[in-house]
Amino acid sequence: MNIIETRNLTKTYAGFTAVSGINLHIPKGAVYGFLGPNGAGKSTTMKMFLGLVKPTSGSFVIDGMSYPENRTEILKRTGSFIESPAFYGNLTGEENLDIIRKILGLPRETVDEALEITGIAQYKKRLAKKYSLGMKQRLGLASALIGKPPILILDEPTNGLDPSGIHETRALIRSLPQRFNCTVLVSSHMLSEIELMADSIGILNHGRLLFEGTLDDLRRNAALQGYPSDHLEDTFLAMVEEDNRQLKSGV
Amino acid sequence: MAALVPVINMAVRHEIYTGSGASPVNILFDANWQLMAMLNVLLVVMCACIIYNSEYADNAIQKMRMLPVHESGMYFGKSALIILMCMTVLLIEACGVVFCIDYWFKGNRGDWDLLFKSFVYEMVLIIPAVLFSLFIASAFKNMWTALGTGVVCVFMATMLPAGNFLLSLFPFAMPFQIFTNTKADNISNFIIAAVIESVVIIIMEFLLIKIRRLSE
Repeated sequence: MNIIETRNLTKTYAGFTAVSGINLHIPKGAVYGFLGPNGAGKSTTMKMFLGLVKPTSGSFVIDGMSYPENRTEILKRTGSFIESPAFYGNLTGEENLDIIRKILGLPRETVDEALEITGIAQYKKRLAKKYSLGMKQRLGLASALIGKPPILILDEPTNGLDPSGIHETRALIRSLPQRFNCTVLVSSHMLSEIELMADSIGILNHGRLLFEGTLDDLRRNAALQGYPSDHLEDTFLAMVEEDNRQLKSGV
Repeated sequence: MAALVPVINMAVRHEIYTGSGASPVNILFDANWQLMAMLNVLLVVMCACIIYNSEYADNAIQKMRMLPVHESGMYFGKSALIILMCMTVLLIEACGVVFCIDYWFKGNRGDWDLLFKSFVYEMVLIIPAVLFSLFIASAFKNMWTALGTGVVCVFMATMLPAGNFLLSLFPFAMPFQIFTNTKADNISNFIIAAVIESVVIIIMEFLLIKIRRLSE
């Protein structure tokens, strides 16, 4: 069963198509890796799911609900982290999460829980603007995880983290479906990273969905199409390069 | 600070004012309200800019947009906060005026009703300025642009002739009106204008939110 489905979802700006008629199928209870080079349209797609960007055409359904009719319900059930951490710099980490807790109507202990999960509990009384980049990233993650929402949309959540932070975050994301019974949509421009977290992946390039399926499907597909299939990173690069070549030649 | 204006003015020049036979409220408003109103509106502009800057600075506004709250609701929340602040400020200023009446106009204490009406009138007339300041602050991500625009508007309001009804309807000019100097007909006109302006500014804010969302 798919928790998120899109139908010909498109976003165009003046003379530029950021997302071009994509049909995504994100299974419930899975970690879905959304992969693509910078500017492929990953963030735009995620922003459309969160109502930050209005689709030009097409539609999407999240947990049986559609936008904009069920905007509030969708946002209540979705924890999100888009592009860069967003917070009130003049408030402490704890106060930032407390605002979100109050808006979502969650119990008080969810704040400490989110701080513990992301490993910033000892810095909760510090002003968010004084956090290091990695701590800000963790605060962003905590604000997405608070209340254990059934759907998590995480846009490049490991940006700015040190190697151990990246490892911890990957392990955390990998464990989320089992721990909190949720579905995770996580984006990255590195297949090596997605490979370690995701059950299914979608590869996006220039706003077009090049592939969707499991990692095994990708390997099989790559072998069939003559792409290198020993290392998935090479497969991904070959697919993107081929797509870029086709676009340039106008195919 | 605005509450100190009549106190300092009276402390320095009380003999000019106490000799006049007019009502103390009238005298004090005539002598001090222009400066007090300017300080009030400047405070409103600064508060609006600071409130929105705290949301724009570290992208908190994006987080809020991803939560089940309406941006228009956040605008109303901020408006309520600044209106509450204005009520507190006007109450403190009223205390300043009461102190002046009590201290320098000892034999003339029958104007409490007029004083109350004057401050309620000022409270109503400052609401469009609050809403307009927040509209400007919400329109610009850069606080200095919003603050600069607001300050220019305030100084423009001080230069508008107070006697011209149409020009006095500029949101930042309305708080400069004085209850005791306004004809009874015009008092209701100004109150109606304040209500209409408030509705128009709220509609403008709704449109701004919608246009911004469509352009993203």
